[in-house]
Amino acid sequence: MFERINIENLPKGNILAFGEFYRNELNNSSLEILSPLKEVAQALNKKLILLFLIGSLEDIKNLEEIKKSLADEVWFVVNNELKDLKDDLYTEVLAQIVKSSQPYGLFFPATKIGMSLAPRVAGALKVGLCAHVNYLKVKDNQIIMSRPTYGENIIAKLVSKSSPVMATISLGAFNIKYGEREPLMKEIIFPENFSWSSKLKIRNFIPSKKKLTKLSTAKIVVSGGRGLKNKETFQKLFELAEILGAEVGATRPVCYEGWVEEERMIGVSGVTVKPKIYIGFGISGALQHTVGMENSEFIIAVNTDKDAPLVKMANLALIGDARKILELLLKKLKS
Amino acid sequence: MEKIIVCIKGVPEPGSVKVDPETHALKRESMELILNPNDRPALEMAVRLKNDYNIELVAISMGPPNVIPLLKHAYALGVDQMILLSDRAFAGSDTLATSYVLAEAIKKLSPFSLVLMGLKSIDGETAQVPPETASLLDIPSLTNVKSLFMKDNKWIAIREIEYGEEEVEVEGPLVCSVSPTAFEYIRPPSLKRLLEVKNKEPIVWQAGDLNLDSQKLGLKGSPTQVVEVIEKKIETKGIILEGETEELVEKLIEVLKEKALIKN
Ligand SMILES: Cc1cc2nc3c(=O)[nH]c(=O)nc-3n(C[C@H](O)[C@H](O)[C@H](O)COP(=O)(O)OP(=O)(O)OC[C@H]3O[C@@H](n4cnc5c(N)ncnc54)[C@H](O)[C@@H]3O)c2cc1C
Ligand SMILES: Cc1cc2nc3c(=O)[nH]c(=O)nc-3n(C[C@H](O)[C@H](O)[C@H](O)COP(=O)(O)OP(=O)(O)OC[C@H]3O[C@@H](n4cnc5c(N)ncnc54)[C@H](O)[C@@H]3O)c2cc1C
Repeated sequence: MFERINIENLPKGNILAFGEFYRNELNNSSLEILSPLKEVAQALNKKLILLFLIGSLEDIKNLEEIKKSLADEVWFVVNNELKDLKDDLYTEVLAQIVKSSQPYGLFFPATKIGMSLAPRVAGALKVGLCAHVNYLKVKDNQIIMSRPTYGENIIAKLVSKSSPVMATISLGAFNIKYGEREPLMKEIIFPENFSWSSKLKIRNFIPSKKKLTKLSTAKIVVSGGRGLKNKETFQKLFELAEILGAEVGATRPVCYEGWVEEERMIGVSGVTVKPKIYIGFGISGALQHTVGMENSEFIIAVNTDKDAPLVKMANLALIGDARKILELLLKKLKS
Repeated sequence: MEKIIVCIKGVPEPGSVKVDPETHALKRESMELILNPNDRPALEMAVRLKNDYNIELVAISMGPPNVIPLLKHAYALGVDQMILLSDRAFAGSDTLATSYVLAEAIKKLSPFSLVLMGLKSIDGETAQVPPETASLLDIPSLTNVKSLFMKDNKWIAIREIEYGEEEVEVEGPLVCSVSPTAFEYIRPPSLKRLLEVKNKEPIVWQAGDLNLDSQKLGLKGSPTQVVEVIEKKIETKGIILEGETEELVEKLIEVLKEKALIKN
């Protein structure tokens, strides 16, 4: 079905992006990271290649999506042993591809799987790895990457001096864009004597009961922080979300408190949102949170403190008690 | 079964790191370090395994001498041996250089059955050290592990991924990062051991004790480099309204109508 290419004949010096496939489903994060990487590839005059490790070609459900992607080429490694996520084997396969194709860069989405594999690959290649970056730019032929850091409003700009340049890219930080041309599809053929063995055996899989939230693509986000004081008040955000057709977001401390599941965390450690309207109740606006929502089109902050950073960055700030405002708002909207 | 090694990290108290407005360098307001909160579940898992299998626990930490109290805390929780990896040459390590030192120390402690770590630190927060260390040791790794036991000489682990949970069988030795939510109950240190550890000091290993390649250490051995830190200035850009709840809610509803989120 695809052009078959021996691993030793792979084109060299390109930008590789790891495509996450789990149980035959493509993870959208792999398409997201192509958006900034396309710009990087163009600035460096390199090709962008999306790379998949899969059990069999028949398994691909999302081929149409992949054909529309920004990648110039899509490479598949196909072997029945790749059906399950075996970190050690996956690392071996990726390291072989890097050794043969000597890419300029190798990037992973910062999913749990990406964050398990990327450091193993970096360790095997003995190269640097930048963690969940949300900004990439080429300057003087070098890729500069940024990530927020520490509890304060600090952003660190990083470079990697080793080759290939490696990083994991924050989830939801970039929109999926589509390409103008269908990428070339290639199946990489590994040498006969390559060992597909692994010390891992996946015995069982229990799908999560929670359905994945639609937070990262929501048009309206209502979000809450510690200023809502307790779980009960926080839960009222779901009523508001229902009325407005919104998704509920949260800050890290309230997720850790157990007011809401961690999947709803917005920020560096959680998801990035870009809604038309973001409403934050009792949220101070620490950088770790705001990097995940600063590109919202219209920001509303509700806070008792008019010096809170989120109040300052808001298009509209209401200075008052978040619980009272939320309760009265719900009452009025329901009547 | 052989010994279990737990890696713990000392981190600055949240909020104690600031940017110097003039030099733009990071400055720490206090040198006091706390135990990385995500390492507590790793220690808890280690202590539970020790109780189940009656094996030796070793805690190691790479850092300045002020992590010694944290190693002692680990002892009070049930760790048998404390090892501090400390050398000026380690300063400024990125995750590759950190993993190199940890991997070499772990090799020196061989044989071992398991290495436990926290999911991620709360300062660097890369979550890279556990898989990277395993890779350098050429042994398997699992991240976000919430339960672990041994059966027929193999580890059986449950790991969390976005899609759910996987039960994985692994031929050890193995490196695991422990899920921060693995346990509902985490035991406090034992009083007896707190007293006992007063008269104990960790073993200190420096670069020379581990026969390390000096080119791979610290800033020099770190391929990733922070080229700039920027403090984000936030400027007021919108309308700030103060007043009675009633007024504020009216205004909010007006805006929501303007944006066509609710009908008139
Ligand atoms: C490495 C690292 C990663 C992090 N990652 C994330 C992340 O991904 N996402 C994230 O959100 N955080 C993250 N954090 C935490 C972040 O730094 C902040 O601590 C957090 O965002 C603050 O949450 P908050 O706004 O709910 O709480 P607080 O900062 O405590 O703010 C509460 C706000 O509520 C206001 N308030 C109090 N009472 C009321 C009232 N009655 N009515 C209205 N307002 C009231 C207060 O004035 C205050 O502004 C991270 C931190 C670190 C160190
Ligand atoms: C602003 C800034 C940005 C950075 N960005 C990067 C980056 O993108 N890439 C990079 O490679 N490095 C980066 N670093 C360096 C990184 O923080 C250090 O290498 C650090 O020593 C280890 O990484 P971590 O804290 O992220 O550990 P994590 O991988 O998050 O820690 C996971 C677990 O590993 C164990 N562990 C970690 N460190 C030690 C230790 N010293 N002793 C014992 N056990 C330990 C603990 O069990 C811990 O819970 C950055 C540092 C700064 C200050």
